[in-house]
Amino acid sequence: MTVRDTIIETQDLTKYFGAMVAVDGVSIKIQAGTLHAIIGPNGAGKTTFFNLLSGNLKPTSGKVFYKGVDLTGKPIHRMIHLGMGRSFQITNIFPNLTVHENIRLASQAMENMNFRLLLDTAKMDRCEQRTAEVIERVGLKNQSYLPARVLSHGDQRKLELGMILAPDPELLLLDEPTAGMATDQVPELITLIQDVQKSGTKTVILVEHNMNVVMSVSDRITVMHQGKVIAEGTPAEIAANHEVQTAYLGGLYDLNL
Amino acid sequence: MKNNTNVFIKNRGILIFFAVMLLAPFLIGLLEGSSPAVILNNRGSMSKFLEGLGIEIFILAMFALSYDLLFGITGLLSFGHSMFFAVAAYLTGIALKTMHLPFWQVVLLVLLVAVIQALLFSLVLPRVKGVTFTLVSLGLASVFHIIVMSSDMINLTGADVGLQGVPVPAFISPVSERLRFYVIALSLLVATFLFYRRFVASPTGRVCVAIRENEGRAKMLGYNTTLFKIVVMVISSLTASIAGLLHALYQPIISPGVADLGYTVMGLLIVLVGGVGTLSGAIVGAFALRLLDFTLRRYIGESAAIITGAIYVIFVLFVPYGIIGTMNLRQFKTKQGWQRLLGLLKPKE
Amino acid sequence: MKTTLRKNSKAIIILVVIAAFLFVAARGMSGKDVIITVLRGFSIGSVTFLVAAGFSLIFGLLDVLNLSQGTLYMIGAYVGWTVYVRPDTFVDVLTPILLILAGFSLSSLWERFAKRIQLGAKPQKIAAWVMILVGFGLLALILTRYPIASWDLNNYSQSPITYSYMADQGMPIIPAEAVFQKISPFVAVIGILVTSSLSAFSIALLNSGTATTETANWRKYFVPGVLVLVGVLALVFNARITSWMYGMNSNWLFVIAILVSVISGVGLGALMETTLIRPLYSRPIYQLMLTLGLGTIGVQIVQAVWGRPEFVLPKPALFTGTGGVCPATNLADLFENHCSTILLLGGRVRVYDEIFIPIVGIIVLIVVWILLKRSRIGMIIRAGVQDRQMVEALGINVRRVFTLVFALGVGLAAFGGALAAPSSGLTPMMGEKLLLSALIALAIGGLTSFPGAALGSLLVGLIQQFMIKYGQIGIPLPFTDAVFKPSPPLVPASTVLLMVIVLLILPGGLLGTKE
Ligand SMILES: Nc1ncnc2c1ncn2[C@@H]1O[C@H](COP(=O)(O)OP(=O)(O)OP(=O)(O)O)[C@@H](O)[C@H]1O
Ligand SMILES: [Mg+2]
Repeated sequence: MTVRDTIIETQDLTKYFGAMVAVDGVSIKIQAGTLHAIIGPNGAGKTTFFNLLSGNLKPTSGKVFYKGVDLTGKPIHRMIHLGMGRSFQITNIFPNLTVHENIRLASQAMENMNFRLLLDTAKMDRCEQRTAEVIERVGLKNQSYLPARVLSHGDQRKLELGMILAPDPELLLLDEPTAGMATDQVPELITLIQDVQKSGTKTVILVEHNMNVVMSVSDRITVMHQGKVIAEGTPAEIAANHEVQTAYLGGLYDLNL
Repeated sequence: MKNNTNVFIKNRGILIFFAVMLLAPFLIGLLEGSSPAVILNNRGSMSKFLEGLGIEIFILAMFALSYDLLFGITGLLSFGHSMFFAVAAYLTGIALKTMHLPFWQVVLLVLLVAVIQALLFSLVLPRVKGVTFTLVSLGLASVFHIIVMSSDMINLTGADVGLQGVPVPAFISPVSERLRFYVIALSLLVATFLFYRRFVASPTGRVCVAIRENEGRAKMLGYNTTLFKIVVMVISSLTASIAGLLHALYQPIISPGVADLGYTVMGLLIVLVGGVGTLSGAIVGAFALRLLDFTLRRYIGESAAIITGAIYVIFVLFVPYGIIGTMNLRQFKTKQGWQRLLGLLKPKE
Repeated sequence: MKTTLRKNSKAIIILVVIAAFLFVAARGMSGKDVIITVLRGFSIGSVTFLVAAGFSLIFGLLDVLNLSQGTLYMIGAYVGWTVYVRPDTFVDVLTPILLILAGFSLSSLWERFAKRIQLGAKPQKIAAWVMILVGFGLLALILTRYPIASWDLNNYSQSPITYSYMADQGMPIIPAEAVFQKISPFVAVIGILVTSSLSAFSIALLNSGTATTETANWRKYFVPGVLVLVGVLALVFNARITSWMYGMNSNWLFVIAILVSVISGVGLGALMETTLIRPLYSRPIYQLMLTLGLGTIGVQIVQAVWGRPEFVLPKPALFTGTGGVCPATNLADLFENHCSTILLLGGRVRVYDEIFIPIVGIIVLIVVWILLKRSRIGMIIRAGVQDRQMVEALGINVRRVFTLVFALGVGLAAFGGALAAPSSGLTPMMGEKLLLSALIALAIGGLTSFPGAALGSLLVGLIQQFMIKYGQIGIPLPFTDAVFKPSPPLVPASTVLLMVIVLLILPGGLLGTKE
């Protein structure tokens, strides 16, 4: 396949919070099967952009198309069934349930058994199997029967990732999956993400602050600044882009080039 | 085969409870010197009285169970829960007394109305969340209470005196066939409990727990949380209505107090004392509170309610997990301690 | 610019809707009916507003839904009644209460003893519990022997109903004095101080593990000192104060009654917040359950102390004039003769119920509004409602502000109770009913909006009164000759209906912020 399909596309996506514009007329197309990074200084609007893509926020104006279908007005709980999974910058799990239960709930959503009131979940074999696989994959096997709240922050990030992998979505929106993780754990997680993306024909949109990671793993990069897209291209193109340099020089981050 | 034994072992607590409660009237009969035959003919005195107390506890426990499902499992704090119970009780009374319906039709009618009520609540569910839901439910239930109490309805509801003289079908008359009533109430309670257990372990039940923990996340996982809440609402309303129906059959007077906010608080109190979200806590709590209330009333009269209130406050402040919850926690901690000691902190299986 | 316009347009729409509603509602009525109904609506609205405003302040800043607000309203009414009708009981009760308060604030005295003894965590906990039990047990023992003149619920001629009735007829019964028999006054005073301070100390011990050491200064002993002094003085001059109060002009006695009930509301509020609510800020659901439980306990206590039957708080002389030029037709007559009613458009209007209460309500509205807008504390409250973290970040002692606001909110409710008592009468049910109205008012107006509380209360009051009026005169149904008379249950039902409609359209209420 040479010409890839567009999996998700935004048209003039804009979001105001009161008088402040957080996402300002963003139109991008993301190709299926790529790992696409979105970078930008703090407050650039990356998380807000994700919230618009995943339906957590309604855009002030503009549209989101997923595989050519307009997503505007679709309820959040439909998104995963369309094949879109999303992780959060601030850990968002079920703190009092076990790791196993967290992941199991994520896989269960894909089975059409939600309203079998008398079925014992332990007997949902496919779901249990999938859960075990995912737990293994994110490396939480030894903690699987602990309540999620007692995990270390890094393990909670892994759990969060596991909860997205469980339903096996085509498009993964990952909002700083490594945020707050110990540095030595980061490569492991990134490798995992790369694996996931390569092994299936999955698309990953990744928000990440660590430039080394971004430059080495992504196929394409979009740079946001003050709600606008200021550049898009391959890692090499972005590294050479003058405007990006200035945006970052004004911000807190160093491009590490 | 393996599964079969599992079911019994998993539910041994409630099955033992069932057996003990079934035998209890006869044992008490032996203590007071009446033979099982006398008990079977409902002629024991002490045992008959205690059967009555037991019936009250079973009804309360069922009401509390339905509240625990809503609040403890799904996290929906409704202050209008007594409405389900009271509507069923009054409906039973009115259908039997004024409308002279045959009993099976009454039961059907009560169940039907239970579903309708739950759907009525569900109408507001997706719109109002959290605290506002609590307030709206309180508002709806209060209106019902006021209607029941109003003197315009005196012919139907008996207003503030309560609904009296409901003709109870002879085969379950709490006077002449009390033992049968007792067994029916007990069986209904045990059946409900088993069903609830099952439900909480089912995919639907697990999602309900997820909703309690973090509704936003549950939505993101792809669950239409409103639907689950409606299902829970319906189940809870059905259970509370069956309890209300039993109440109407058992009590000589249906007092408007059952439509009151105080009755919801009673359910909340039972659940709290027993342990929020534990299901078995509802039964334990109902026993503990009803027996305590019974004893206190005996010795200090009306002001017993103040002491019950004080217990409530103490539980809220100091024993938030309730009796069962605290016990489970202890157990979990000891288990964890042992496992840590043995270096065995591994997944079970 | 744009936002202010939108805000205004909303307000305008609301006003237009209300005006239209009033117009339609009033069309079928005669002028005098309209005036009376509207005034009554204002009256009920004012009382509801007092409870709702307190509720909304507390919820806005503390995020606590104080569901005991209705009960506290009721307690305000009963306290007011006690001071007004049975000042002797009030004076008798004053001493032990002040002494207990003094004891509680003196609890740190025990620290010196405690510091000498070093116990492990567990023995200390046990010791604390033992001390609590001993302290409260002895306190209870002393209090049961402490003489307090009171009424007798089982004896009609000495029940609150009779006392109220006789006082209303202008012939108050002056009951016999309670005398010290089972305990000597000296032992009682010292005993209460010691046992209550011991209990307070052991509670502190239990909570913190070790008692906190503050630097000793004169202020620490000033407050308890004053409390003890006043308590003892009240004991020594008990008889004189009592007879002075019985002989007092009823208007002034009424003012005192209201003041006392507001003070006890504020005190109760402060006590509740510091001891019961504060440990639960991390568990909001339990907070909610706690206030609910406290509300029901309060009702039980009131039933046990004052009984179930309804009675009234007689109106002070200023509002009871009859005969001669009464009902007054002009202001001069009204003021000279203290008429109980006036004629407005040919309708008789009760001065206390339909004129005085709304005026007080409006005054409170303005005073609290100014307090919120102009004072420093008001500024902190408003900022806190908007963004609590920020206020905390500014280094303001939020705890103290929380206590203050809670106390203020409860004080408003108690004030409402005392104010409404002469018009609505006292029953143990009054709190629940009013809480319901207040909640509906808030849901309609917006849970954390102060003007919303006022608007919602007014709407609830008006709708209720119009429904009641129509219940009497009937609504002629269009196109038919039939007349529909809404029955009393429809009165609260109509307000709940309005609430549901408003919430379905605007989940945040009319003036509330979105979400
Ligand atoms: N719910 C909200 N209400 C008001 N303003 C918001 C809201 N969410 C985000 N903002 C503002 O929108 C802007 C963009 O925020 P966003 O979280 O999207 O940035 P980001 O690029 O994800 O930053 P970071 O790298 O820190 O995660 C910020 O200025 C933020 O303060
Ligand atoms: Mg972000």
